[in-house]
Amino acid sequence: MELTHSSKRAISLSKPRPKVKLDKIPIFAAALAALLPGCRPAPRVERPPGMLVIALESGPTRLDPRYATDATSARISALIFNSLARPDENLRLQPELAQTWQALDDRTYIVRVKQGAAFHDGRPLTAADVKYTYDSVLKPDSRSPKRGALRFLEAVDWLGPYELRFRLSGPFAPFLESLTLGIVPEGARSDDASGEQRLIGSGPFSLAEYLPGEKVVLKSNPAYWEGPSRLAGVTFKVIPDAVVRALEFKKGTIDLIQNDLEPDMVPWLRSHTDAAIEIREGDIFQYVGINLEHPILKRREVREALAYAIDRGAIIRHLLKGLAIPATGLLAPGHWAYEGSVPQRAYRPDEAKRLLDRAGFADPDGEGPLPRFKLSYKTTNIDLRKRIAEALKEQLSRVGIDLEVRTYEWGTFYGDVKQGNFQLYSLEWVGVVDPDIYYNLFHSSSIPPNGNNRGRYRNTEIDKLLEQARRNSALDERKRLYGKIQQLLATDLPYIPMWWKKNVVVRKPEVRGFALYPDGDFGSLKQVFLADRPTP
Amino acid sequence: MRRFFLHRLLLFLPTLLGAVTLVFALIHVVPGDPVEAMLGETASNADKETLRRELGLDQPLSRQYLHFLAGLAQGDLGRSLYRQSAVMELISKRLPATLELSLAALGVAIALAFVLGIAAAARRDSWVDRLSLLFSMLGLAMPNFWLGPLLMIVFSIELGWLPVSGRGGPAHLVLPALTLGMAMAAILTRMVRSGLLETIHEDYIRTARAKGLSERSVWLKHALRNSLLSVITVIGLQFGSLLAGSIITESIFSWPGLGRLTIEAIQTRDYPLVQGCVLAIAVSYLLVNLMTDFLYRLVDPRIRYER
Repeated sequence: MELTHSSKRAISLSKPRPKVKLDKIPIFAAALAALLPGCRPAPRVERPPGMLVIALESGPTRLDPRYATDATSARISALIFNSLARPDENLRLQPELAQTWQALDDRTYIVRVKQGAAFHDGRPLTAADVKYTYDSVLKPDSRSPKRGALRFLEAVDWLGPYELRFRLSGPFAPFLESLTLGIVPEGARSDDASGEQRLIGSGPFSLAEYLPGEKVVLKSNPAYWEGPSRLAGVTFKVIPDAVVRALEFKKGTIDLIQNDLEPDMVPWLRSHTDAAIEIREGDIFQYVGINLEHPILKRREVREALAYAIDRGAIIRHLLKGLAIPATGLLAPGHWAYEGSVPQRAYRPDEAKRLLDRAGFADPDGEGPLPRFKLSYKTTNIDLRKRIAEALKEQLSRVGIDLEVRTYEWGTFYGDVKQGNFQLYSLEWVGVVDPDIYYNLFHSSSIPPNGNNRGRYRNTEIDKLLEQARRNSALDERKRLYGKIQQLLATDLPYIPMWWKKNVVVRKPEVRGFALYPDGDFGSLKQVFLADRPTP
Repeated sequence: MRRFFLHRLLLFLPTLLGAVTLVFALIHVVPGDPVEAMLGETASNADKETLRRELGLDQPLSRQYLHFLAGLAQGDLGRSLYRQSAVMELISKRLPATLELSLAALGVAIALAFVLGIAAAARRDSWVDRLSLLFSMLGLAMPNFWLGPLLMIVFSIELGWLPVSGRGGPAHLVLPALTLGMAMAAILTRMVRSGLLETIHEDYIRTARAKGLSERSVWLKHALRNSLLSVITVIGLQFGSLLAGSIITESIFSWPGLGRLTIEAIQTRDYPLVQGCVLAIAVSYLLVNLMTDFLYRLVDPRIRYER
């Protein structure tokens, strides 16, 4: 007898999960708990003295500053490594390791490094380390994702133990942003995973343990050149599920969550825990990207109509629970180059209909079911993104546009966006420091594969202004040029601005000294202390 | 019997080859470029092309596939494009966590199913039977992403008995294993019950009773053992679902297993890592199926594997 059974089943990966409503679960949970004997309040979880625990949605991919590009990696890496300059709470660059910087001409800068800074192993940090860091990014086989952003940098010359010369290939006003690269010790390798476990920086915290996808443990650097942190250390714990992050906070195993919360969990945490919740304007910019080569979307009236037809206020009120502000453009009001006097399009469906009629897209059956035209909108399969997409579909249907929502896992979605395979999509920009980002997004030479002008926007006037702004190092003149650029973009609408997300921090009341940065940076952790805990 | 298992082992190879070929093809067909993801937004075209050449991604797919197979034949799954580590090393760190969770869930499912299934069959149409039916319906109806947080609220937040998430001691394993094993427990409970009820009316059971054996002995030694074959088949088949289901459960419970690694690898188009992860899951599944065949023989010695 031979037994056979066909048991080869397909294994399905990464299914999007419907949202779990925290406020509904307790009804079932309470009923279940009532059936169990010995119900008692959860005991308070003790944490190591002086150790702060922060929940993250996703872990860092690389902590070496030469390779850290995603927001989480960059934020944690910045606690381990110092850079020559660092953006402050208002995103203005301030010297960190640099004593001074001075432009000799429009392509030569002299940077003097502060004396007294040292790496975690006690070695003094000198100009040689700075030169090594930049050289190791610039070498052709570095595989550093930051090499492209430094391509304007011709060479970094060592002039003395604490003095360097940065030579540029041409005038490049955003040069100072490149000084935010974290400095590694001379000779630090980067090409193996074991190196990632033994990173040595000069920052306020040193790396104690790194388990990719699980946690990162940092301990305070007692010899930090700006004075040691009052914390014993910080543990970043990766908790992918939003509901579980909130439950861990309630349980007391997490001290602080910054931004990694779904909007409707903030009121739940406010009412179910003793959390101190702070909300501040942020600079994370959400937009709808448009394919300007599409026969319908290349018409400006249509793009304007789309902007008028979207009720941002309703989406912010109902889906984002007020945790956003309607945006006028990429730069948030706190940015030095922000231009407020640009054309704005509040929700006016009648105006949208008028514009569509004028563009020749009359509604075939008035208020009937037939649309004027159909568009597709791509987004990720994250629950909130899907609900926003459904809201957009409903709002656009009121002006006669049939929006087909297509959701994808991140890799597929982003691949499509990069290839220009979309009509409409939505993404966000995080942590914009220098407005030169406009060059990468809207200059005609930045059309992929040469940049991120994914909508294929072409405007010779914008091109000229962007080139001028990139060459001109006078701040006032740059502000004027970028103001003009913002006005033109708000008129032309290659992007439909949606909102700037507010930053939210939920913390235990005893966690003091934490400041919200517009870009979600953890820079203030070096000042944080635990009020009712012994500190080292 | 030896020939049968040799035959089974030989079937391993084409099955694995099929799985990795399918994944190789699929991951290369869907949009997304690992080089773009590695070098970031600002990389020049020349740098992208250089890296693509270094990684061999500029080669025709057929050549990349042959290169992958050549490595596989030598036990080399390549290096992760992102994590600067050998794929084998990454998998060996994560696979134990997934197997631990899946096997614990299997244990939970079997334990619950046998207790409830036997009780339901022995007390047919009583409240115990109805309770078992209710359990099965709930177990099948409640998805993991709902059941997991529900159990967390009850046992971690309200009662404070267990940790909410993460991997640590045995206490950390209870809730994820319960969550993952619940659906399987529900299916098996119904199978054990119906299997027992079918068997209990057989002639040999009447004979056993006529011999004066205790009811306990009749149910557990004679009826249960003879109803186990179909249950074992389902356990073998369902283990694949446990491995696949662990992907969601691992995310809910912040469990650092292979499922989460697979998702991260897919999202970043880390081709060697995706292939390695799928291979590891496929091997685990095939091994369990092989073990199922061994179990048949143990449970029913009458079974012969050769003509």
